[in-house]
Amino acid sequence: MTSDRKTTVLILDDEPIVCKRLKPALEKAGYEVESFTRSREAMHRLTERSFDVAITDLKMDGLDGMAFLTEVKKRYPETEVIVITGFATMETARESYQKGVFDFVAKPFKLGEILDVVKKAETKREALLKN
Amino acid sequence: MRILFAGDEHPYSAYALKKVIELAWHTWADVTLLAVSPTQPSSRDPMPEALHRYREEFLEALGGSDSPYAQERWEYEWMALRNGSWEEVQVRRGIKKELRVRLRVGNADTEILSEAVRDGSDLIVMGCSGKGKSCTWDSASSTAPQKVIGNATCSVLLIKEDRPINRVLACLDQTAASQESIEMINQILTIHGAQLELVGLTRDGGAKPEAYTQLIRLGDYFGDRGIPINTRLAEQSKFESVLSTHTGDDLLALWMGKKSLLTLLFPRDWVEKFASACPSSVLVLR
Repeated sequence: MTSDRKTTVLILDDEPIVCKRLKPALEKAGYEVESFTRSREAMHRLTERSFDVAITDLKMDGLDGMAFLTEVKKRYPETEVIVITGFATMETARESYQKGVFDFVAKPFKLGEILDVVKKAETKREALLKN
Repeated sequence: MRILFAGDEHPYSAYALKKVIELAWHTWADVTLLAVSPTQPSSRDPMPEALHRYREEFLEALGGSDSPYAQERWEYEWMALRNGSWEEVQVRRGIKKELRVRLRVGNADTEILSEAVRDGSDLIVMGCSGKGKSCTWDSASSTAPQKVIGNATCSVLLIKEDRPINRVLACLDQTAASQESIEMINQILTIHGAQLELVGLTRDGGAKPEAYTQLIRLGDYFGDRGIPINTRLAEQSKFESVLSTHTGDDLLALWMGKKSLLTLLFPRDWVEKFASACPSSVLVLR
């Protein structure tokens, strides 16, 4: 990280085990992390504050990940969104990119892979902010 | 997801590559194409030629301008040379996802397993020769598929024939199925539109309460996600007869965690022998 301010990350996945695994790993890497298992609660949090990076699952009850991605980009275009999914298809991957996703990562993945992607998203954001 | 394709120059490896292309098409996984040469190869040796062919085939299928693998990102990278020095070269990478082509020298199964660890692979995909009662490579490293299946620390998909996957027959013992293995099953089911049949293995006429809990948990997990699932119990001693009910269009999935009953009850090399005897493709989950 290049400044004193920590990069902020929101995690949304309806499987608690995913949040439980990702949150400490990202915090250990120096990020400020909030995790949610319900999209409604994550959406509510977005009305209160923005995040630098959002990681969201796709298949969830209620507001699904694609709708969440749309809403995040509408509200905060500068937030980089990473989609993670256990039910990947070419259609959902393409749709995610059309909606402005930073990266599309199929499960399963190693923690190192998602940390690499978050780092790239952070680097992209920093480069954009400098310009 | 990171997929490691390990192949040689024979046709069964081309079948396995087709499966890798299909998986990559949907998952946008980072993919490494690997071959292992027993000795230092020249450019005319079969392994480099096979890798060249596989890369061409992969990019022909997935290298279009709207593909994540489109080779449009130029970067400078340091490459190690044989004499211990390094050279900075300009390389072309996939615009969003990686396709790497690697050649290792040495013993095939050792190098494949080593590459999987180094690469952080989530899935190794290999082909093997023979329909039915064999599972070998037609090269000097004939037992490589069996060795990799038996010793990999990640999941392994062994493709035996170029056939569709219409049903996944997943056999579970009394150990916990890892989150990664459940996610791998999800992806396979989603990509193939396949049905799932979950077989819980019991011992001496019954299962421990944990086994029922595990089956119910998995049934709920897939059911909650709209995946149709049939669940049944089968006595471990009749395991082989259970397997005889499946067809060539099935994918047999075996949960083989470190504490798996299968690895406890059967000799260490059982899974290798079983993968050989199984007529269909095999997915070993870890």
